Amino acid sequence: MRGLRKYLTPFAPDQSGAVSVLYELGGIVVVCDAGGCTGNICGFDEPRWHRTRSAVFSAGLRDMDAIMGRDDKLVAELADAAHKITANFAAVVGTPVPSVIGTDYHALRRMAERKCDLPVITIDTTGMELYDVGASKAYVELFDRFATEKLPVRDGRVLYLGANPLDLSRIPPQEMSLSFDEVVHASEAERVMVVAPSGLAAAKLLQRRFGTPYDVGYPLLGAGDPCEAAHDGQTLLDEVPWAGKRVLVVHQQVAANAIRDAIRSRGAERVVCATWFMQAPELTQEGDVRLREEDDFEELVYQGDFDVLVGDPTLWRIVSDFDGMTVDLPQFPVSGELVCQAGVVT
Amino acid sequence: MGHAACYFTAGELATRGMQHLPDELVSNRHLIYSSPATLAFNSPGAEGFGVKRAGLAIPGSVMLLVAPGCCGRNTSLVSNMPAYKDRFFYLNMAETDIVTGRHLKKIPQAVEEVVDCLAQRPSLVMICITCVDALLGTDMERVCRRAEERVGLPVRPCYMYALTREGRRPPMVHVRQSLYSLLEPRKKRPTSVNVLGFFAPLVEGCELYGYLRGMGVKAIREVSTCKDFDEFQRMAEANFNLVLHPEARFAAADLQERLGIPSIELTRLYQLDRIRTQYQALGQVLGQTFDDASDYAAAQDAVDAFARHMPQAAFSVGECLNADAFELALALVRYGFVVREVFGTVQAENFVFLRRLAELSPHTRVYSNMEPTMVYYDASDCPVDVCLGKDAGWYHPEAACLAWNEDVQPYGYAGVRLLFEALLRLTSAAASGEGRAQA
Repeated sequence: MRGLRKYLTPFAPDQSGAVSVLYELGGIVVVCDAGGCTGNICGFDEPRWHRTRSAVFSAGLRDMDAIMGRDDKLVAELADAAHKITANFAAVVGTPVPSVIGTDYHALRRMAERKCDLPVITIDTTGMELYDVGASKAYVELFDRFATEKLPVRDGRVLYLGANPLDLSRIPPQEMSLSFDEVVHASEAERVMVVAPSGLAAAKLLQRRFGTPYDVGYPLLGAGDPCEAAHDGQTLLDEVPWAGKRVLVVHQQVAANAIRDAIRSRGAERVVCATWFMQAPELTQEGDVRLREEDDFEELVYQGDFDVLVGDPTLWRIVSDFDGMTVDLPQFPVSGELVCQAGVVT
Repeated sequence: MGHAACYFTAGELATRGMQHLPDELVSNRHLIYSSPATLAFNSPGAEGFGVKRAGLAIPGSVMLLVAPGCCGRNTSLVSNMPAYKDRFFYLNMAETDIVTGRHLKKIPQAVEEVVDCLAQRPSLVMICITCVDALLGTDMERVCRRAEERVGLPVRPCYMYALTREGRRPPMVHVRQSLYSLLEPRKKRPTSVNVLGFFAPLVEGCELYGYLRGMGVKAIREVSTCKDFDEFQRMAEANFNLVLHPEARFAAADLQERLGIPSIELTRLYQLDRIRTQYQALGQVLGQTFDDASDYAAAQDAVDAFARHMPQAAFSVGECLNADAFELALALVRYGFVVREVFGTVQAENFVFLRRLAELSPHTRVYSNMEPTMVYYDASDCPVDVCLGKDAGWYHPEAACLAWNEDVQPYGYAGVRLLFEALLRLTSAAASGEGRAQA
């Protein structure tokens, strides 16, 4: 049945993706919810939350706020917080509640900017899309709003897009992290490196606006692949005898493609990439699969004639009769596990 | 622009009175700051018993969460616990569902598919719905009846409506009503009593059990200790219900009306003299006298032992723990300790404790975990020896911290005794140089 999950918990939603992008930019981030969404975002989907304080708030909506459409109350509370907290900007992130009541984000932004003395952006996430949709919206909104000035290009400056904990399934390395200053000075970048599909739309925006070229790649692979920590320096790619194998890789599309290239270079007979998330046509090869339901995955595995499956270990419950090799590659937006817990199971 | 966390002293608040609390301490007058200290507010299901765990209190039950994906995201925190393995299922809603309401038609079939995929037939299917259906005005009772007809099992709704958390019947009240609505009429047994309120049992050795047995009660039932659905149904035999948590008040009223089981409400307290008074009052209602001398003395001994170990210990008291933060702070002050700050939510029910605290310790600071300026909270501004509660411990990473938030519930004299025994162990470990003490 469409939408029914018997084995997997729901994946990270779009609102988590948006907050993941905004988290370290020094803004006031207001999740427009009753509280539960903020708890899910911060308490589960944001691994930096326990170690780094950030000005993330819940709007604390109550039933009458939603029924009466009290945007003015939200704006007054945001203005009060903006008065007390130093911030670069304010962002309002949508959830199912404003989606249901049809909140006018454009009007909300204008009202808030009049009251707050801060630039305000709104991300119209709904809680019903997946994380990468929200992350993509946040990247686009940020660069569209704040990267407006054409500045001289600085040699060697690379801007990484898609490098957030949900896309990388790890805390981003310092050199890949995004700061508010880098957003504002985006036109100084010599090139943009897109490490996940969530960064693609913003990369195209920067290309259109400033002529900044972009590449798509996953530099973390090879520099210490995602399983490095669990394998005492041995990489996942070195541990498995790939030659002649038929392999299914399930991950975010850019990472999966990079793994495919590496496995092919080690002699794999056939490698299919599948993803539960965005599948950009320009990054898709023939035979690649966009998964939506548990049944899709089950059918793919049992009819795909694979020797090896590479993906988040929570997926293996769906295909418990698969008798090939499974290689654990945790995907944070799927299971909430970071890559440091990776391992190989046969 | 000041960069300090906002607080008010207990003295200031007592002077203002409950009707004139500052906006900073009223949660619906400001944005809600999100930190690990507010997780229990923002996501009650993430820790302890929220609607999801509570909804599965009936042995052998399973839950179908019908909601946008975001609502079920953190459920793997719970479903990874052995007791909840293979008990959570999801029907993810899309935007089209909201517009057309078609998800409601899918629920009976989804329930059937869930029941069919299980090796053992469940005792009950809970359908959990969230804010979206609250706004859509979904009649889930009707949908559940249709699902019941389809699978031949009880199917009940539970409402994880965060939007209504400060309403008259918030989600944790409603889930209790929903659970106990399953009880069918049975012949009363005068030797049976139910303990309502918690989803885990009281601490082992709690004197309340002994007092009840001493008056001839043979069966003391709690939902958390029922081994199966049949045993749960035997809760309908009870002569009376003891309500230990106010969120069970409505469920108890339902049981009185529907099954004729009266109830008596008790409060969890940490002040020994108040506990004694409450037991005396209970005894009067039941026509009994409880001999509590040894239990009282054991608890007092534990308090005294800790006081000898750390006289004048300075506490930070949070609200993410098994206590009312203000009542616990008051108890500590009355035992002779110092309470420098309380992280708490001031409400009508606990203002009486706050007022008394103000008389004894007017300079105790009161913070709201949820207030926006808590992003600037600086522990060095208010040094303490011991933190009580997970939230207080988060603000003071260097201080010894007793989380005191286990599922098993401290209560009565035993609760006081165990608290101070734990504090003694904790601070002894810290004193012996074992690094930051946490428990």
